[in-house]
Order: sequence, then structure tokens, then C-alpha cells
Amino acid sequence: MTAIRTQSVQKSYGDLEALSGLSLSVDEGELFGLLGPNGAGKSTTIEILTGQLRPDAGDVSVLGTDPTTNPAETRRRVGILPERESPPSFLTPREYFEFVSTVRDIDDETRERRVEEWADRLSFAEQLDTLATDLSRGQQQKVMIAGAFLHEPDLVFIDEPLANLDPIVQERTKRFFESYAADGNTLFFSTHHVEVAEDICTRVGIVSGGELIAERDPRALDEGSSLLDAFLENVDAPESREALATEP
Amino acid sequence: MSLHWTLFRGMLAEEWRLHTELFGGRRFAVFPLLVTALAAGTAWFLSLTEVTVATVAAGLHGLAFAFGLHTGSIGFVGRDAMENLLGDITMLVFSGRTLPVSRRTLLSVFLVKDIVYYGVLFLLPLTVAVAPLAYARDPALLARLPLLWATTTATFLFGAAVTFAFVGLSTRGLPGRMVGLLAAAAVGLAWAAGVDVGGATPYALYADPSLATAAIAVAPSVAFAIVGLYAYDPSVRSGVRTIDAAFGRWRRRLGDDTGLWMKSLLDLHRSSGGIWKVLFSGGVLFAVSAALIFLTESVTGVEPSIGLSFGAILGLTAFTTYNWLTQFDDPDDYLIYPVGVADAFAAKFRAFLVLAVPNGLAYFALAVVWFGADPAHVAVGAVLLVGIELYLFGLTVALAGLQPNEFLFDSVLFAAFGAAVAAALVPVLIVSLVVTPVSTTLLGALAAAAVLLGAVGVAVYRRAVPRWERRLLA
Repeated sequence: MTAIRTQSVQKSYGDLEALSGLSLSVDEGELFGLLGPNGAGKSTTIEILTGQLRPDAGDVSVLGTDPTTNPAETRRRVGILPERESPPSFLTPREYFEFVSTVRDIDDETRERRVEEWADRLSFAEQLDTLATDLSRGQQQKVMIAGAFLHEPDLVFIDEPLANLDPIVQERTKRFFESYAADGNTLFFSTHHVEVAEDICTRVGIVSGGELIAERDPRALDEGSSLLDAFLENVDAPESREALATEP
Repeated sequence: MSLHWTLFRGMLAEEWRLHTELFGGRRFAVFPLLVTALAAGTAWFLSLTEVTVATVAAGLHGLAFAFGLHTGSIGFVGRDAMENLLGDITMLVFSGRTLPVSRRTLLSVFLVKDIVYYGVLFLLPLTVAVAPLAYARDPALLARLPLLWATTTATFLFGAAVTFAFVGLSTRGLPGRMVGLLAAAAVGLAWAAGVDVGGATPYALYADPSLATAAIAVAPSVAFAIVGLYAYDPSVRSGVRTIDAAFGRWRRRLGDDTGLWMKSLLDLHRSSGGIWKVLFSGGVLFAVSAALIFLTESVTGVEPSIGLSFGAILGLTAFTTYNWLTQFDDPDDYLIYPVGVADAFAAKFRAFLVLAVPNGLAYFALAVVWFGADPAHVAVGAVLLVGIELYLFGLTVALAGLQPNEFLFDSVLFAAFGAAVAAALVPVLIVSLVVTPVSTTLLGALAAAAVLLGAVGVAVYRRAVPRWERRLLA
């Protein structure tokens, strides 16, 4: 079953063309990574897929909903973790989860159980009653990850999933993502970190200049080749590749 | 090129780009002209009364001082406060931790930049606007306008330096705060004892130009700036705050379905100054109302209606309260949840109703108790207050959405806002300030107008929400 489908999606900001006909399809149960350089259109893609932005042209379908015409329904069905978002400054993580539960219709008992699980998984139990503005960037990101998964959605969009997390929490988070997808759920990542995409994704789409220019299965790459090679081959200029190859 | 000059040019360009980015792009360039036009209009109005140029000059110095206090606090309180107000930005003044430039150099240049920038863009237009009044009173007074500009600019620096000194002292813990408190108390006591505190400010130079007053114009500002430069510790961070969860409990008590209303109230309550900042803003407007009403009485000789005039002017508390309510979030923040933009606005409207209306009515009650008023005027004044508050709410939402701070300096929006406020408020103020006695028919008409204004405000707000939603998703 298809979880996400886009067809010829276009989006411009004034003179800047962010997406110039993006078409892609993601099946249920995939860990799909959208890999691309800065400014390639990754965040714009996520914002359009989650109804935070309207495309100028093209068709979009997410879990059978149309985020262009019914964004609230799409957002009800999916989880979203934006790259730079932090929990509301003047709520504590516990209160933030109460807020998320209110807007996502999660009952108190379920919420308490899931918050406990997440606090244990990402090691933030001691910060549950600290004002979010006083948390470190990494702690804020842990809270946002938990918030995106609190309603256990079938599909979660994550922009730069592991930035700011320490290595132990990164590893736990990666393992969680894999087990979540193994249960039939879909995860859609956006990242410019090749190693992250290589490590956790079952399929990677390389985007550049607002278009999907290549797709790779990181677990089925030829012997001796890497996702970085594929990325450079498709995205980077030849002189940059040569410079990279001669670096000590 | 020297380091100081490079920094100065960089900061000046940064300040300009910050304003143009936030406040309507190139339209911001017109803002000084708008300031000139508004101030000249006020000066023309004053020329019809007995007000002297000296009184206007004193008022301008007071305004420059308040403006300096405000600007100093924004510039120096720190990056977190800047982010609350202006979003995610980085400025040169905060680069001391990453560049080999001392923070004293950065802050000194920042102060000089503020003087030049605000002196030219805001204080010069205000000074130019006094020219028609000065010419009408005595053409010879025009020669004093350059001095007026110099001393209002120095007064602006004085205000910024005072704030800076207090912010600097507050970063030194309890001892620093005690020093600041004692200094403020000493000035307050001196003023109460009849000491001419204004004589130790740049205003003294304007009032009585001489070498001695020129020294007075500069020395206190330099002294406060030095205190701030040496006391300010940018590494100070507030302690980590742990709080018992109140969100869910209060959300259920208030019957808040989305939690957005409760979140708005908690944001306000837990941010610096808490709920008191709403009361403080109301208090400032109360003081301004009292001054304006009694000034009008002294100029016109007509006893104004306390109930009607305070009701009309205190309705303006709507704007400050809505400003406070929208300081802590952006509409974009809610786009990752299954709530609509209309839900976010509805939450702000509810929070506005429970804060702005009681706040305005509390100061209205204070005015009535303090100064006394006719019961019929009190009743109509209360209706006026609520009607004007709702009208201003709708108007602000329509023009600025959830970001009213930004439109203050957008010339076109500000002019539209000013015209819409004037259209509603000026007729009401004329009746309440200069018509006496107010007939029963006129009272009834004012009450009906107030109800109409409130209805217009709510209707305008409801029509504006879908437009903001479309704009947000575009």
C-alpha cells in the first residue's frame, strides 16, 4: 500500500523555485530518506506533505488524505517533527505532552504510560517538570521526538532526526525507528547527513534543484560503493568530487 | 579601516536591515516621514491651544527618555529576550563569544550606533515636526530646534544608559540589584524632597544653555554607561525552573477544548514580569489618560466627563494586552498539530477577553472612585471601554494577525491603524472631553456607538481569520 504519493509538485518563493516537479512514492513500512544538499527543497517537501504549505501545482496524497485541501485531517493522522522546532518555552515537557494529548485526543491513562516509556527510552524523566525554555537543545529535541510519536501514528515526518542528540540517544532512537517501521508504520526522513540516511533508511531519494534525481536502497549498494558516492555522483560538481578525493 | 568604524558600519547596516526585514521592507523608509506627519499634526492641533513650545519640548524630552529606556532594554537584555520579541536572530553585539572583540568594545559601539540611528530616524523627524508650532508662536524659536534635536538625542542616550546600567547591575546577583534599587530609591526620594531631578539631565541644557549644563547633559549618561559596561556579565544565565504541572488541571477547569487558550495564559503568566506586565501597561495608560484629561481641562476650561473620557481612552489597553498575549508564539508553531489557524485566533480572543476587559475595567473603576463621576456617564463609559477594546482587537487582528509588534513600524499598516482608531475615537473623545453637559440623547448615541464598535470589531476579526490562514499556507 502506498503511504505517500506526490506527482509533479511545484513550489516557488518569489523568484526562488524550491520544488520544480517533484514526484515520489513511499510504501507503508518504509524508512524513506530524502537526502539532499542545503536548499534542495527537503523541508519544503515535508511542509507540503503535512499541509503546512500549499504547493503551486501538482498532486499530493498522504495516507489517503489530501494535505492541500484538508490539512487538519492529514496532521491528525501523521506525526511531525520539524528540524528547528522546540517545545513551547513556558510549558514543562509533562505539560507539553498534556497539550499534545489534548489536540490529538489521547486519554490520560494512555498518555501517562507512553510518556513514561519515552522518558525512559530517551532519558529525560528528570526533566519532565522543567520549563522547556530551560532545557538544552538536545533535551528539547528529545521532547519533540516523543511528542511526534505520542499518538502512535501510522506515518511520521522527521526533518533532520538526530541533530543535537548524544551518541547513546542517537543509537536508541535509530533502533526505535527501525522497530517502529518493522511494525508496519512508515517514517519519512529529511536529512543532509549521508551516514544517517545510509544507516537507518530502507530507501533513499536524492533530491537536488527541487527534483528527485535518483533513488537508492542503501542495503543493496554494489560492493565498494557507498551512498556518499551516489550522492556526489548525482548532486555534486566534478571538481568538488575531485577535491574531496584528494583530501588527506 | 579601524575596528570601531567597521563594527559601527556593520551594526548600523544590521539595524536598518532588521527593521526593513521586520517592518514592511522598503516601506520602513517612509516611517520617519510618517512620524513627522503625525507629530506635525499634533503640533498643529496644539497651536490652536495655549500650549507653549517649552511645554512641547519638555514632553519631547520625556518621550526621548522613555524611548531610550525601552531601546536600551531590548538591546541589552540578551539574545533570549530578542528571540522572544523578534524571532531567531543573531546580531553583531552578541558576537563577543565567537570573535576576538571585547564585549566592552561591542557594547560601546552598539550604544553609539543607537544614538546615531534613532537620533536620525526618529528624533530628527520629531524635532522637525515642532517647527510649525515654533514658527506660529515666535519665528525666533526656530533657531533653537537644532539644540532641541541635540538634547532629545542626548536624553535618548541617557535613557538607554540608565537601562543598561540597571541590566548590568542585575547580572551581578543580589548585591548588584541592591545597588540599583538603592540608586533608584535615592533618586525617588530626592524628587519627592523637591530636588530638581530634571536639572541633572540633558533637558537642563535645552532649558538653560551654558557650559555647565552642557556638562550635565553628557556626564550622567557617560557615568551610567560606564557602570553598565563594567557591571554587565553576558555569561549570566537564569536558574533552571521546575514547576508542578498546571496545564491539564486548569484546562479542564476552564473547559478549554484545544488547550491553546490555557497555553496562552500560561505563556503570559510564566514569562518575565508575569501577569503584572499587563497591569503595568494599563497603569501607564491610566496615568496618560489622567494627564491628558486634566491638561484638556486646563487648556479648554471645560470640565470633561470622567466616566466617558476614561472609558474611551482606557479602551486602548486592548492593544497592549493583545501585544503581550502574542509575544510568545507564532501561528506557524501550530501547523504541526491537527488544529486550525482559527483555533489559534479563538484562543487568543478568549485570553484577551479574560485579561483585557477586567484590566481596563479595573482602572476605569479606579478613575471613577478617585475622581468621581456621574452614574449614567459611568455606565456608558464602561460600555464604551468594552466596545472600543473589541473594536481594537478586531482591527489589530485584521491588520497584523498574531504579530502586532511588527506592524507598529510598518508605515502603511500603522497609518491604516491610526486612521481607523482616529475615526472611531476622535468623535467620542470630542464629546467626552469638551461637550458639557452631555444630553441623555447623546449618551444613548454613545452607548449605541460603543455596541456597534464592539460588533464591528468581532465581525472584522472573524472575517480576517480565513485570510490569515490562506496567507500562512501560501
